Amino acid sequence: MTQVSSVGTYLPCWGSALRRQAGDDEDALTLAVEAGRAALSDSGVAERVIVVSRELPLLEGGNAAVLLAGLGLDPELEVTERLGGAPAALDALSSARPRTLVIGTDLERAGAAAALTGDEGLSLRATARLARSLPVRTRDASGAVHDYGDPRLLRERGLLASVTAAAVEKPVAIAGTDRKQAGSLCPGTAPDLPTTGASAPLFALAALAETGTTGTLLAVEQATLTGVLVEAGQARVHRRELPARPLPKGKYTPGAEIPISLAAYDRAFEPKLRWEAARHPDREELDFPPRYRVGQDGSLSTDYTLVPLPRTGTVYTGVTVHVPVPGLKTPYSLVIVELDEVGVRALVKVTGTEPGTVDIGDRGRMVLRRVAVRSGVPDYGYAFEPEEA
Amino acid sequence: MRKVAVVGAGMTPFAEHFALGIKDLLPMAFAECAASVDKGLDRGDIQAAWFGELSTTDGFPAGILADTLDLPDIPVTRVENACATGNDAVRNALFGIASGAFDVALVVGADKVRESASKDTFWEWAGMTRDMAWDYPLGLVAPANFALHVARYLHESPATKEHMAMVAVKNHHHAVSNPKAQLRFDITVEQALDAPTVVAPFGLYDCTPQSDGAAALLLVSEDVADRYTDRPVWIRGVGLGLDRVMHQHKRDMTTFPATVKAAKQALGMAGLTPSDVDVAEVHDCFTGVELISYEDLGFAERFGACKLVEAGVTSVGGTLPVNPSGGLKAKGHPPGATGVAQCVEIFEQLRGEAANQVDGARIGLAHNIGGPTAVSAVTVLEGPGA
Repeated sequence: MTQVSSVGTYLPCWGSALRRQAGDDEDALTLAVEAGRAALSDSGVAERVIVVSRELPLLEGGNAAVLLAGLGLDPELEVTERLGGAPAALDALSSARPRTLVIGTDLERAGAAAALTGDEGLSLRATARLARSLPVRTRDASGAVHDYGDPRLLRERGLLASVTAAAVEKPVAIAGTDRKQAGSLCPGTAPDLPTTGASAPLFALAALAETGTTGTLLAVEQATLTGVLVEAGQARVHRRELPARPLPKGKYTPGAEIPISLAAYDRAFEPKLRWEAARHPDREELDFPPRYRVGQDGSLSTDYTLVPLPRTGTVYTGVTVHVPVPGLKTPYSLVIVELDEVGVRALVKVTGTEPGTVDIGDRGRMVLRRVAVRSGVPDYGYAFEPEEA
Repeated sequence: MRKVAVVGAGMTPFAEHFALGIKDLLPMAFAECAASVDKGLDRGDIQAAWFGELSTTDGFPAGILADTLDLPDIPVTRVENACATGNDAVRNALFGIASGAFDVALVVGADKVRESASKDTFWEWAGMTRDMAWDYPLGLVAPANFALHVARYLHESPATKEHMAMVAVKNHHHAVSNPKAQLRFDITVEQALDAPTVVAPFGLYDCTPQSDGAAALLLVSEDVADRYTDRPVWIRGVGLGLDRVMHQHKRDMTTFPATVKAAKQALGMAGLTPSDVDVAEVHDCFTGVELISYEDLGFAERFGACKLVEAGVTSVGGTLPVNPSGGLKAKGHPPGATGVAQCVEIFEQLRGEAANQVDGARIGLAHNIGGPTAVSAVTVLEGPGA
């Protein structure tokens, strides 16, 4: 039995209501961070993190550090990166110990959702699990996708055959399939889910928690299935789901590969991903980015502590780059944000709105985004997301 | 300190010199400088040289200068101080002569911007000027560095994009009669305002072109000036000012404190005030930067720059012509050469020999801002009639 104390969801603002699209500066990790932060937003405590996806960007290491930094969690926490879809995420949750943050994150129908387990909350219990193979869609290590192209076969021999074989009682929600099939299998109760991958069962859980619905939640991926019984209890739900609008077109200019210094990346990583400034002993102002300083008498100060920066602020000045820049999509906007009440400004990219729409004086918040991809390395940092007008 | 005079000045045209390398441009600028020395120059007289070059093209700059001009037996120092390089090279040479260490020194500035593929230029140059971890990945193209300032300036001051367009129109017009200028055509305010946006608030005509070029000055001490000319142009003051490098550390982005410091030093050394200046070459890499610089240099009160362009004060024929050469905007901007070429223009203005002559000019000022907005150099010159 697992108790879920809170659920957080995140949908990017791009795409259509039915099919969200990640922004150019988003990937599975930044989506996961948004959902995870939502789940942790009422001072939840996580002691380990499980992230489930089929889209993790750094297949040779590095995801965990980005995730923990973005979530503001201790870098000593255990992070499990689990390759999988909807059933894998539900498996991870139903077997999770208390104080585990389980995050499902998807790019194709973009969205992420996270559930934090605790000693009390919404109870769920694993009731069914079945692994069957019907690979109508395949993807190899190089990313090449093949689709067998037979939706009726998938429905009959995938979903329905597995539901029958697993002998699950009539579900109240199905995650991992389309709305139509979910609606026909659980009429009247199936929540509309924005995603079909690893985040889908967690979106379903959020819906069940909000409506106080109990019963069986199924997660399916092709012919593989996991079922849990959602029972009594309360989980707080925090949704960060902005209205959908079309992704701005822009124009990508091919050309130079943008170089990166991994030495510089490494030095900047903690403050850049945790949004922290340096406080030197005996110095009033914060240093952002952190650096060594010298005193009036020439004495060297290296012994600074990193302190969190506010994540809200006001635009001091801003510009929009229209001219084609090799390796980037234009137009894009850059702003200098005056962070609230600390006397610190930051030069950052604008996200979550059409380029050129942010003005001096606008308010907004700082969010983790993939600021650039440089020589194959995703370069994460904070961007300014204006408040909804 | 001894007084220091400019006795020769020359430059190549500023252009996309695809057919000429740095080793061609340096002799061209030097030869024109030597030819302008009234009583002639023996190359053997030159005791030291300062060479301003931002980039490194075809070899390390000091060596390239010594080798190319056949000056292997004198000390050559490379100066690199972002877009303030040119006037800082003048400043260093001045101290070399004023101190008594040398009597005759050469100052050269040059750059070959159009030496690499245009698709690579931005990231190459940004790599030299931005913090690699924090700023570089943002795509902070050169115009964006200045646009961040100008956007705030337009927000706080009464200046508008029309005033920036008026600066573009003025400097384009000035360049028409300058045979060394890169963009020798008139534009209208409407053309400037309707041009494609580069980085808002800058349109195409608010921006300097990319240029190659070289410029040279011959500096001598007062003790030997009359061996070279009876019409020396005196360097009355030099100044160099710095500021915070990262934009987020600049508290008031409607002004360039580096310029304020450099101008204060240079005018203070000269014992002059901004109102004494008759002609100025001001760093107009972007039109809005010329407006802000009027205020930082003391030519206008705070937020009063737009009134100067409205009244035509800074056009040739006005009371304080600015950028009679066409400025960076229309003459061109090979960064290392820019400041030196400004002094070439002022030298000609103060001797009454300029292509776009300002009547009766006696005191001239040259100004650079760069880094992108964290270093400024100012030089104040006085004509021979004084």
